Order: sequence, then C-alpha cells, then structure tokens
Amino acid sequence: MKKINFNAHAYSIKKNGILFIFILFCIFLSVITPNFLSWTNILNVLRQSSIIGIMAIGTTFVIIGAGFDISVSSVLALTAAMCVGLQNYIHWSLAIFIVLIIGSLIGLLNGFLTAKIHIPAIIATLGTMTIVRGLVYLYTGGYPLYVEAPQFAFIGNGYLGPIPFPVVLLVIMVVVWQFILVKTRFGRYTCALGGNKEAVRLSGVKVDYYHILTFVVGGLMASMAGVVYAARLLSVTPLAGQTYELDAIASTVIGGTSVSGGEGSVVRTLIGVLLLTIIANVFNLLGVHIYVQYVIKGAIILSAVGFDTYSKFRE
Amino acid sequence: MKEKPEKLILKVRGLSKTFPGVKALDNIDFDIYRDEVHALLGENGAGKSTLIKLLVGAYKKDEGEIYLNGRKADFHSPAQAFKNGVSVIYQENSLIPQLTVIQNIFLGMESFTRLALIDEAKIFQEYNEISKKLGFKLPPHEEARNLGVAEQKLVEILKALIHKANFIIMDEPTASLSKNEIEHLFRIISELKSNHVSILYITHILGEVFKIADRITVLRDGKKIKTIPTKKVDRKEVINMMVGEDLKSSYLAKITKINKKKKTVLKVRDVQRKPRVNGVSFEASPGEVLGITGLTGAGKTELTRLIFAADKMDSGKILIDDKPVILHSPSDAVKQGISLVPEDRKKDALILILELYKNLTLPTLPSFSSKGIISSKKEFNIAYRLIEKLDIKTSGPNQVVKYLSGGNQQKVVISKWLQTEPKVLIMDEPTRGIDVKAKLEIYNIVRQLAKSGVCVIFVSSEVPEVVSVSDRILILSKGKISGEFSHGVGQEEIMRIILEQDK
Repeated sequence: MKKINFNAHAYSIKKNGILFIFILFCIFLSVITPNFLSWTNILNVLRQSSIIGIMAIGTTFVIIGAGFDISVSSVLALTAAMCVGLQNYIHWSLAIFIVLIIGSLIGLLNGFLTAKIHIPAIIATLGTMTIVRGLVYLYTGGYPLYVEAPQFAFIGNGYLGPIPFPVVLLVIMVVVWQFILVKTRFGRYTCALGGNKEAVRLSGVKVDYYHILTFVVGGLMASMAGVVYAARLLSVTPLAGQTYELDAIASTVIGGTSVSGGEGSVVRTLIGVLLLTIIANVFNLLGVHIYVQYVIKGAIILSAVGFDTYSKFRE
Repeated sequence: MKEKPEKLILKVRGLSKTFPGVKALDNIDFDIYRDEVHALLGENGAGKSTLIKLLVGAYKKDEGEIYLNGRKADFHSPAQAFKNGVSVIYQENSLIPQLTVIQNIFLGMESFTRLALIDEAKIFQEYNEISKKLGFKLPPHEEARNLGVAEQKLVEILKALIHKANFIIMDEPTASLSKNEIEHLFRIISELKSNHVSILYITHILGEVFKIADRITVLRDGKKIKTIPTKKVDRKEVINMMVGEDLKSSYLAKITKINKKKKTVLKVRDVQRKPRVNGVSFEASPGEVLGITGLTGAGKTELTRLIFAADKMDSGKILIDDKPVILHSPSDAVKQGISLVPEDRKKDALILILELYKNLTLPTLPSFSSKGIISSKKEFNIAYRLIEKLDIKTSGPNQVVKYLSGGNQQKVVISKWLQTEPKVLIMDEPTRGIDVKAKLEIYNIVRQLAKSGVCVIFVSSEVPEVVSVSDRILILSKGKISGEFSHGVGQEEIMRIILEQDK
C-alpha cells in the first residue's frame, strides 16, 4: 500500500525532469557565455519561441487527448497568407478574426475525421495537411504575399514597454490555456479521454464533442501562430511554416506530455519550446553545422519520448 | 534440507521482495510436490502475483532461493522460464488472434522439412496425439480469435504441454468460464496431474480449491500463513486464514429481504440486438435487487450495455417510471437515472492514470463546476466522504487509480455513480477478480443501496452470490429470459435449470 509514495515520486521526476534539465542547461550556458542571462538575450529567446510556442499549446491539447495533428504547419501558412491577403479588402482586425475562425474550422474537420469517421489522427491530419497546403498555393498563386500596415505589424514587431508583443501574447496564452487545462471541465475531460475514451463515454460524457474540441484548439492556436508569423515577417510565401509541426510536437513531448495521452502541461510545453530554441542558438554561436543540429535535435526527441514510454513499459 | 529434492518440483526458501515502501513478500518458504495440484490463496495484495512474477523471472528477487527440479532457477524473464518447462496461464488470454489453434500451439516449436518449410503433416500428427491423450476437442484450423474464452484457455494449456512444460501456473483460470467449462477444465487438470504435470492454481473461489487441490497455501500481507493438505481443513478455516479475522462466512443469511410490491421504475420491452440479445422483457422496482444470471455467452453483458445505451439496440423499448425513453448514448441514460458498473472496470470504467478524485467526479463534473470552472475543493470534499462511506483503502483522493487493488477500484467505480443518485444501478459481474472480503463489502453496498430505494440490477455468472444478494432472479439463456425466481429459491435449483438449458 505504501508503494504509492514511490510512484508519486517517480511521477514528479518525470513531470519535472524537463525543468531540472532546463535550469541546469541555463546555468551552464550563463557560465560559458556571460551575456546569456542578459535581458536582451532572454527576450530574444522568448521572441524566437513565440510562434512555435503558441502553436505548440494547441498541439499539447491534441496530444493529451491521445490525438495527433500534423496539419498545423499548413494551417499556419494558409491563415498567415489569408491574413495578409484579406487586408487588401478588409480591416486587419477583421482579417485576424476571420483567419482564426478558418483555423478552428480546419481543426473541427480534423476532429470530425478522427472522432466520428475513426481515421487515425495522424492519417486524418496528413490528409488535411496536404489539402490545406494545396489551398495555400491556390490562394497565393505560388507567389509571396506582402502587406504594409503599421498597426498590424505591431503584433509581430511591437513592444509593450520593454517586452516584445509576441512574447506578451505567448505568456498570456500559456497562462490562459494552462488554466483551462487544469481548472475547467474541458481540460479535465481532455485528460480523461486521452487516458481512456471508452471509460469516459460510459461515464455519460459526450466524449466525441470534447475529443473534437481538442482539435479545434489545435487549429485555433495554429492560426493564431499564423497571424503572429504574418505580422512578424509582413510577407508570406507558400512554403511558410513547413516543418513547424515537427517542432511543435517535439516541444510538447520534450515537455513531458505523454504520447499515449492523458497527461501533460502547457507550461512544460513552453519549457520544451524554450529549450529547443536555446539549443539552436547555442549551436549557432558555437558554429555547429546545421546538419549536425538536426541529428542532435532528433536524438533529444527520442530520449525524451523514450524515457516516458520505457518507464511506462517497465511498470 | 530434509526433503528429498527429487520429490519436489519447486522449492522456495526465504524468498523476499520489497517495493519501495512495502514488503510485498516476506521470507517465504514454499514447496510443490511432483504431480500435485497446489492452490495458492490470499486476498488481493497478499503477494500472490508477486510470488508468481518472481518464480518466472518477471521481477527480480531481493533475497532467497528458488529451486526447480532440484536445480537452482534464476530466470531473467518469463520467456526463459517457459523454455525451462514453467508455463503461466494468465487471466487474460495471450494467444495471437489471427493464428490458428495449431499455429498458436506450435509457435516457436514448429517441425521443419528438409527444405526448411514448416512440416504441417508432422505437426498435425503431434497435435492429434496430444489432444487425444487429454481428451481435447478443438477445431485445429480455427483462428484463435473465433474461439470462446474457455477454448482459448485449452489452447494455452496445449501450448504449454507441447513446449514440454512440467509445471503450469494457472492464474484464476476460471474467471470467465461457465459452470461446465469449469468442469471440463477440472477434468483436464486431473488428466495433467496423471501425466506428471504439477500445477500451481491461483484463485479466489474456494469451492474450486476443495474440488481439485491436493494442498493449499495461504498468503496474507506478504507472509505465508500456512501450507496444509486440503483434506485437513474446511472452508471457514481457510477464509479465516485469508482474512485474518473471524469473518462470518454466512453474511448472506443475514440479509433482510425487502420485497414490497411497489411501482416499477424500469421496464424493458422486447429488447433485441442480434445475435446475443434476442428479445428480453422484464420489470424492476425501486428498492429491489434484481439478479440476472446465466452462462457465459448468454448475453448478460450485451443486455446491460443495451439498457445503458452503450450499444444501439435493433429494436425494443425502455421505460423509466412508465414513460418511454429514447436513449442515444450513455449520457442520455445517465440523465434518465440509469448507471452501469461495467464488467471490465479497467477497460470500460476507470481512467487508470488519473487520480481517484478525478475518476469519482467524472459523471457529475458539471455539479462541481460553475461556468466550466471546476472547484477542486468541492471535489475533494465529496471524495473524502465517499472514501469513508465505502471504506476505500487509499492514501487519499490524489492517489492514482491504477495503484489501487481490484476491490478498491471497483468501489471507486460504484461510488462515482452514487453521486448521480441513480434510479437504476446496473452492475455487471461486480465482484469479478476481487477478494473475499471486498466481495462481502460489495454485497453490503448493494443491499444498502436497495434499502435506500435504488433499483439494483445485479448481473453475475456466480449463482451463489446472485441467490444470496437478490430479491428476485432472472435466468438468461441464449439472449432470452428463460426463468424467473423470487427470493427463497435454492442455488441448486437455479444451477440445475441453467445447466439443463445448456443442453
């Protein structure tokens, strides 16, 4: 009966391991590169993380619900392109509103295909990823789109006091979605259905509804990342955001969200995003070749997920 | 050592295993004679499964010696134990569903022709020999997934024999078998015995032990209480050894039956879902425990799922308080006051990786939240109350459910429905795989619920418990109600009817 303590203990190491690694890594870096902990550098890392970070919040919800969404990079491209393109006709704020709805609708489609048609999530979103990427080409005609709108540009380049706006947005989103995950019914059902969907259904919960909703969050956050992307670069190519879905998924699982669903945290996903950004920065500073960086990044993903899955297997 | 080693197939000395914080096995000495059926008894958490896992190398022992056939046996894995003649037949079947009976049996032991092809003829001949010897009648070329549970068990036994097992461990083999399937298994066990195979038989069902075991070993709290020849004890003594206190074995006689004719709360009208449920009608009243029993495969589980709308019915009607209700999903059923404690709690009722309180409040989460935001304080208050009310053994509401014992998990499932204040609580095999003490507690809970006005539908294939808990009993056979009894009927009578219908 006293087994519990041990298990709770192991659980907390698994939960917070990423935090320890992150802190150790930061201490290490601040020793070898003195200006690592400088205000400018910290803000820099945060701003570089903001687009993937916002996207990864959605990915976290999808994965906790035992789903998977690889269409988010295409969604980012489509919504970024439309956000730019629509501004020729309508006010930028309305454009943002519309693309957020479009992103959510693609998420709804992903959820419907997964929960109702029972296509495995990775295949369903592979399909929508391809379709949406096609729509990006159709929409842009294959050429980059540009926009000149100072107010819109604020979203990507502006500052609130000393802090870049994308960072403010990222932090707000992390706080809000972490609250939703931990404190609301939707968050609870997300964890529960990721853990055992049939048991939730047989508890009288309309489980498909919540399952679909996790994908809607995925689509919504991908389109929000698309808005920030457009406002940051003020131009969108049809290839925008490619492989971003991999970074979002990698950050989520490095942050300790279980690939089999049921447990995870938005805050830890943020730490995962920051860790990947910092590692990339350091490698660039040290002059590590980009090819080698890929190899190391892959190894990090495998060790993070391997730790989770192997410790579950051992149980 | 005084014993002649060749008399013993298994000798265990001073075996201990500690998990952080708990001594799972404490200095166990334990012998199994050659050609013996040895029963291992104990409540959940007594250390039975730890012992088995140590024997076959699924866990590493901390201290102690294990000898097999007089030789030291330190297996690293169940696979190695299997190769050395120790075979475990688990509660769950471990056959490969897409392979045929023969392919499963000979997996890894195939004979090959000179061209390195599988020698089907030789394998088939071998199969015929061994199945004739033991009196098996299995369809050799049927895929394992098309077999019944009992047949799959037999395939596993054959597989063990083909792999030259001389020591078979059976972990609650009868858990999902019907009465005559069990008897068939018992015949096979005695056949195995006369073919010089020793058996370690783990079970919760005392009746079985007295039928087949030569000796009994009782574990409690990780310690061995006693090994004793079956002939020298009776049921009551064994129960006392297991629970460690003088438990009244005849709790059941004390039930005060309430069977006042009241209005009906649930009416089931000609419910069908082919092929398992073929037109079932019955009524049930508030405050009544309605038992439903029948053989495995009679359609009991399927019927409960239809009433709860977990599956869609082909046709039929359900009336609650005399009003017809249309149930599209379990969520509709819950709204109408119907709850289901399903047969397989791990698969269908619990989220094992989540905490106890989160499991408890799952069906009633809206009442713990306003505008979608959950009040954890309210959840914890209810959780503490239910833990106390049903005496759930746990470190607290925060404990993750997978670390609870079977009986306590079942109590969690029951208590999560209590807050919905169900009019009708359907329980499908609620005491499966839980220990004697927890079973009695569940019976008590059932009677208390009935007393408070709930209509409990108690579905079980264990006739004795149905007889003792229920006010009224329906017998289900081949998807139809084939008999009804009111309280007072003997279990022999019911058994006789069930078995006759099977012919």
